[in-house]
Amino acid sequence: MKKSYEFAHKTKRAKKPVAWVASTFPVEILYAMNITPVWPENYASLCAARHVSVKLCEIAERKGFSRDICSYARCVIGSLYEEKERLPEGGLPKPDFLVASTGACVTHFKWFQFVSHHFKVPLFLLDAPYNISVGESEHLENHHITTYISQLEELTDFLEKQTGEKLDRKQLHETIVLSDRTSQLWEEIQNYRKNTPAPMGARDAFSTVFYMLSAPSTQEAIDFYEKLRDEVATRAEKKFGITQSEKFRLVWDNLPLWFDLRFFEYLNNLGAVVVAETFSHVWIGRLDPSRPYESLARKYLTNFANCSIDRKVALIQNLVKEFKADGVILPANWSCRMMSIGETIVKEEIYRKLGIPCLILDVDSTDNRNYNESLVKRNVEVFLQVLSEKNCES
Amino acid sequence: MNVVDPFRNNLLTRHEVGKRLKAQGKLVVGWSCTSTPEEIIHSMNAVPVMVFGNLENTKLADVHLPVNSCSFARSGFNSVLKGDYDYLDGFVTSRSCDNRNKIFDMWKHYSEIPFIEFINTPHTRTEGAYDFFFNEILRFKSSLEKAFGETISTSGLKKSVHVYNRNRLLLKKVYELRKREPPLISGAEALEIMLSSMIMSKEDHNGLLESLIEEAPKRVDPPKSGVRLLISGSVLDNPELLRIAEIAGGNIVIDDLCTGSRYFWDPVDSDSDPWHAVAERYLRKISSFSMIENEERFKHTIEMTKQFDVEAVLIFTLKHCDTHLFDAPQLINELKNLGLPALHLEWEHSQRGLAQLKTRIEAFIEMVSGVG
Ligand code: SF4
Ligand code: SF4
Repeated sequence: MKKSYEFAHKTKRAKKPVAWVASTFPVEILYAMNITPVWPENYASLCAARHVSVKLCEIAERKGFSRDICSYARCVIGSLYEEKERLPEGGLPKPDFLVASTGACVTHFKWFQFVSHHFKVPLFLLDAPYNISVGESEHLENHHITTYISQLEELTDFLEKQTGEKLDRKQLHETIVLSDRTSQLWEEIQNYRKNTPAPMGARDAFSTVFYMLSAPSTQEAIDFYEKLRDEVATRAEKKFGITQSEKFRLVWDNLPLWFDLRFFEYLNNLGAVVVAETFSHVWIGRLDPSRPYESLARKYLTNFANCSIDRKVALIQNLVKEFKADGVILPANWSCRMMSIGETIVKEEIYRKLGIPCLILDVDSTDNRNYNESLVKRNVEVFLQVLSEKNCES
Repeated sequence: MNVVDPFRNNLLTRHEVGKRLKAQGKLVVGWSCTSTPEEIIHSMNAVPVMVFGNLENTKLADVHLPVNSCSFARSGFNSVLKGDYDYLDGFVTSRSCDNRNKIFDMWKHYSEIPFIEFINTPHTRTEGAYDFFFNEILRFKSSLEKAFGETISTSGLKKSVHVYNRNRLLLKKVYELRKREPPLISGAEALEIMLSSMIMSKEDHNGLLESLIEEAPKRVDPPKSGVRLLISGSVLDNPELLRIAEIAGGNIVIDDLCTGSRYFWDPVDSDSDPWHAVAERYLRKISSFSMIENEERFKHTIEMTKQFDVEAVLIFTLKHCDTHLFDAPQLINELKNLGLPALHLEWEHSQRGLAQLKTRIEAFIEMVSGVG
């Protein structure tokens, strides 16, 4: 990850195009045009891990940004007003332009709108229609697909204008092939976690899923995931679990507590292991290089962040069954509506359909002022107690 | 009787108004975002009404919604759970913000309303966005027809456009009365007039507006002079906040609100094909926070401050209303550059939330009048 920031700064110094990107944006097209993407969200999580995010959020708050808006956004906006030398990795390089989609949240574009105004650089918004039909990608409404595709064409024009270079269709084809391969490898890795004991936990998943989001279409991602897959496969074969005594298998929704990734170790010490994260599964999706734009449309429009809650329910239901989970943890991210509203529905539906209990935790992924550690841990312990009683009964 | 009383009475008894309309054989369809093309609903002999909440607690909604969700949307949802809206035949929401999108799920899962529809309003105004939105408009029409067994005709839509445009024109005339010094209609009264337009049959409201416009110049109890204020924000469904500011010595003479000028400022072009004209109007009306063109929105706000001779600005953002919260710092800066003082208040949609703001509003108005 460190390397990717160094690379971005180097690119900037070499006066090559740098774009700020928000998640659920089809980055494949940027790679096909040799544009270096920079991920403010990832930067926010990095700042949280280095324990500077609260300080940066406070800077944004002093600039008038409410403490209730997305802490990722506040953290990054705060970093715009802080001296480079005092920022992790020297801060984010200034963008030449910004690209965002509404595919995860409206917040992305409001946040980028401000950044675009701040730096006086253009913003391209890919406006993904919200998917309330929650169908699989082959059942999407036609006008949703066509509008997405036509916006990808507009995006191509925009990027060509910004960079002065034409999109090479052959390179796009290759990029899509690579992205598809990355996704397949990641899925393979995830599947090993179906084993008991689970050979990989959430901490490793959250620190390696980065390639899926930000660089799915690079050889580097493929090399990295191939190595990781082999490692996980060996562990699975030798029955090396993430914890010695696996008592509870859990599904984890939304984001981790970036400022305290040891939280997962704390779970492990209680005999609980996270075997699947919705976040690791939501980026998986096949792409067809013969229809690059259409398959990108189908993949991104069915990302559950862009869908009615029933789609998330279906995903978690599936994960619980396939990964033989005993319980689900739903961390409701305080400053994110997308990740907090609807968790009650998930909880009720998963219990109703599978008899599996869910625990909603009030947390924030980067702003630890919204995190009551002792209360959260007490709730987790009570929850595990419930699970163990349930296991005894059955 | 005060000239605004008939509007206020309708507003205060809005659920009875809704039930009465139903008893007269009308369908009543709720909506939540001002980008809902109401004319289409109206043209199937239905009355579209905006779903508001109230300032009471939201205990029922709190069971399902986390505390960090939009307090306005939460309040409306609470009313639904309480049964206040049992008379609704349908509910239509739009894609405007993350809160709305997710709260749509809440309505679907927990309310008993038989017809719930979602309009995918774009966040941009490109040609492609227009084509998409036009498609949504037609899909919405078919969805209504199917659900209610009605046919929505082009000529019917034309008539509805006429009724709605008349309402817009009359509302503009009422706003004109606020340009005077002192204004002829107070800000709290103007909001009551606006809000009542959203919960009554437009025909009835037009009738009330006509008599108001005739009577207002003769009124014996017009507002007194005060600091001329613009109020900017998202939805304001309760005049109480404005009353606080007006008692403190301000006059809200103009607004930049979803439940204000943004609702009615732009008419539908009545000369062209009504389907296209409706799509055009709802996509390209005064920019709201949920559109990518927010520079235009700021321009509109600033233009209003000039037209209405505004001395200071109150910005009310609802707690957890991300879209407006993101815009507030920039808006305040632009206003400052014009020498207009602005007070930003984040408020929780509740009685208690109001009480908390009172002192700050009073201090601000005192400060501004001291300067002037
Ligand atoms: S945390 Fe939520 S609001 Fe923030 S960028 Fe992610 S999805 Fe959007
Ligand atoms: S008030 Fe704000 S958060 Fe609430 S529904 Fe409206 S735009 Fe969304």
